[in-house]
Amino acid sequence: MKGKQGFVLILLIIIPVFISGCWDSIELNKLSIISGLGWDVDADTGQVTLTFQSIIPSETKGAAGSSGDGGQKRGNPLHTIQLDSSTGSSAYDALNRYSQHSSRRTFYQHTQLYILGRSAAEQGIYPFLDSIARNPINRPNVLMVVSEKKARDILSIQDGMESIQAMGMAAEIKLSAEYSQYPVVTYLEFAQRLLSETTAPLAPMVGIIEQAGPEGVRVKKTRINGTAVFKGDKMIGHLNEEESRGLLWAINKIKKGFVIIPGANLEIVTAKSKIIPELQDEKIKITIAIDEESNLLEYDGHREISSDLLQDLEKGQAREIERQVMAAVEKSQALNADVFGFGDTVHRKYKKEWPVLKARWEDIYPYIEVVVKVKTHVNEIGEINKALMRD
Amino acid sequence: MAAGQFNSSASLSQNLEENLRVLREALGSSSDVIVRDMKISSDSNVDAAVIYIDGLVDRALLNHDILRPLMFNLQLIKDNLSHNHKSLIDYIKSSVLTVGQITVVQDIDRVIARVLTGHTAILAEGATRALLIDAKGWETRRIEEPKNELSIRGSKESFTETLRTNTALLRRKIRDPRLTFESLQIGEQSKTDVSIAYVKGITPENLIEEINQRLQRIDTDIILDVSYLEQFIEDSPSSLFPTVGSSERPDVVAARILEGRAAILVDGSPMALVVPFLFIEGFQNPDDYYARPFFAALVRWVRLLGYLLSIYLPGIFVSLKTFHPELFPTQLLVSVAAAREGLPLPVVLEALLMLLLFEILREAGLRMPRSLGQAVSIVGALVIGQAAVSAGLVGAPMVIVIATTAIASFLVIPFAEPGALYRFIMTLAGGLLGLFGIVLVSIEMLSHLASLRSLGVAYLSPVTPLNIRGLRDTFIRAPLWAMDSRPASLDSPNTRRQSSGQMPRPPKSSSQQGDTQ
Repeated sequence: MKGKQGFVLILLIIIPVFISGCWDSIELNKLSIISGLGWDVDADTGQVTLTFQSIIPSETKGAAGSSGDGGQKRGNPLHTIQLDSSTGSSAYDALNRYSQHSSRRTFYQHTQLYILGRSAAEQGIYPFLDSIARNPINRPNVLMVVSEKKARDILSIQDGMESIQAMGMAAEIKLSAEYSQYPVVTYLEFAQRLLSETTAPLAPMVGIIEQAGPEGVRVKKTRINGTAVFKGDKMIGHLNEEESRGLLWAINKIKKGFVIIPGANLEIVTAKSKIIPELQDEKIKITIAIDEESNLLEYDGHREISSDLLQDLEKGQAREIERQVMAAVEKSQALNADVFGFGDTVHRKYKKEWPVLKARWEDIYPYIEVVVKVKTHVNEIGEINKALMRD
Repeated sequence: MAAGQFNSSASLSQNLEENLRVLREALGSSSDVIVRDMKISSDSNVDAAVIYIDGLVDRALLNHDILRPLMFNLQLIKDNLSHNHKSLIDYIKSSVLTVGQITVVQDIDRVIARVLTGHTAILAEGATRALLIDAKGWETRRIEEPKNELSIRGSKESFTETLRTNTALLRRKIRDPRLTFESLQIGEQSKTDVSIAYVKGITPENLIEEINQRLQRIDTDIILDVSYLEQFIEDSPSSLFPTVGSSERPDVVAARILEGRAAILVDGSPMALVVPFLFIEGFQNPDDYYARPFFAALVRWVRLLGYLLSIYLPGIFVSLKTFHPELFPTQLLVSVAAAREGLPLPVVLEALLMLLLFEILREAGLRMPRSLGQAVSIVGALVIGQAAVSAGLVGAPMVIVIATTAIASFLVIPFAEPGALYRFIMTLAGGLLGLFGIVLVSIEMLSHLASLRSLGVAYLSPVTPLNIRGLRDTFIRAPLWAMDSRPASLDSPNTRRQSSGQMPRPPKSSSQQGDTQ
């Protein structure tokens, strides 16, 4: 009897494993791995166009028997990806239409980029943000990018050395953030800024340029050329290269990079900044304190390196940094978009006064007095301490 | 031949004819049973017989030191002795035979039993006692290099099939009077000699008692190898993991005995069982102790990692591919997906197929006559490695995973068998339930391991239950001069192994001493 009961018990344990197992298993060769997702909205009809850039694994190296036949397709640099668009009344409508004519299930967990067409961004991207956030398959660390033109145009331009376009562009954006040119903004950061009561969301902006390529062909390339500024979910303007740099100085996102002043070029070693709000007589005064250390990379003058010269370099640097930050401040006040998060710092420091300030923030922000205090220090002057040539 | 028949004529009679008849009846008419009858004493009037089994005795010894003295030297026996039969046997033992080990027995059953193990019996007319002479001698294998447990710097000798040689090998390592070999015979027909080796005062007594009890419970016809005993005495016969250790190296067995364990040697088996067996022992290797501790620690980690890989790698790979492709780094996913394009089988089946192919190759390589071995490796490497990939049956990443697993599985030989079984289970669980299944099986495996005991000692000690001092010989191997005590989990009555503070230091210089004085 005992043996029989044991047998039944074992069956009860084993059978559910086999009848319930595998229900959500997926074979890799039945997946279409989406590397980049584009979002365009027709300004007139409001129709949503989703552009899917998916990886064709068999065209990448590593596929079985792929070593030989790469040559004939080399002419088309985009042979490793497939671009496909579908249009519908909403995000999921477009997605459903896409799924109907796709041979594989879409797989978003490795998506690198969300590219928003400029006109879509200006109309408001809330439906897009909502459809992404609601589904757990979407990763919060996907990079957000605004395209100067249509999203599909960006996704179809092969640039750089990566075989998969979206991965290459994601790497480009990350590197530009590493060199403190433009901010790198993930979906999560974008959403966090959107959730804040006053802070304006940002995203790097990508444009298309044409260059002379081999054999006289004009080659299209993508370039990051600004920072899109949102108010709520609507894009209202953008910061140029200099203003973007100023923004990064103020929000403590400077990592590496260079400060170029007349006659000299310095490499940033460390940089820290802090936003200090002050409330006096109902007026807000913001102090941006920046502390920077750098090494001398290049010096075109003929002066001998001395403490005088170093002080001049430090002053020059401070002036340059201040100029960049102020440029960003002026642009943001002109746009009336709090890209720096001044509102949040005021909120943190003056909790009681905040409700009143918040209600009037739209009127307050353009007139906030901003003071930039920069402390710089030149650490190293390089291998030579005299100019090679005297004047 | 039933045992009852011996009992009817339990003791020897005075009549030699009668004794020989009983012996012939018991031993049968086998051609290898030799009964050499002779007449001894000066006037050749006393009948005697020498009984032995041809092939089990040393013929030179028999001829020179037994037959020759019996037939020549007895000519010198004085008449008064020749009529006193009781002392004739004693006289032969004390003054005639020039061999070492002689016992006097009265029991005919013991004569039969001993003759079968290679003793030579001498019976004389009128004597109710017989002499049993140990003149065993047969063809044996020489002491050879260990075939399975290799070591770079350690000794190059391993046990043989002869029990006496094996006990001698141990005795040569431990020259302590307290080293004891307790003997017993197991096997209704085989009457196999079994020895329990331990050092009194170091091996706990209750352990010896327990081993004795377990061995005496065995009632079977034949013991061909120590592994027969292993299956009769192990704590958890239904576990995939072995709870009895074994080694073919005398140095390993000697070291284990001096840690407070006991060894079981079996005549005819070139391996010794060592109990209790702890999980961590599977990851210890003699070279860990012969190499310096730093490298030994690295190798320990490599073994642990390799073993984990050999169990988990195919399962995790399969589950990532079928359930969690998002866990791959993107670039890796693209390569893996590229290799996956156009493959006909689901990943689980692909993995199971490759694992099965590997097991087939391994088994064939093991059993194939040596002259054919080359063919297996060529065909195997070509079929599994090259052809399967280029024919588009199996993906290249899968081949890499299975090959890595296969090699890693040989890092920890004692657990190669449970490793192979768990590898299949993990792969199946990973293919059916994903990482969830792998976690489930892991929980089962770990809780099972934690519940195991080997002769009363927790299998996972000293890791759990935790014994900080015991950890000196687990994930690291502390320097020999730092391991002052025997492992606490083995409960040895004498835990002191050596005096502490033996770390080599430069001697204090005499001038310094002069200054302080």
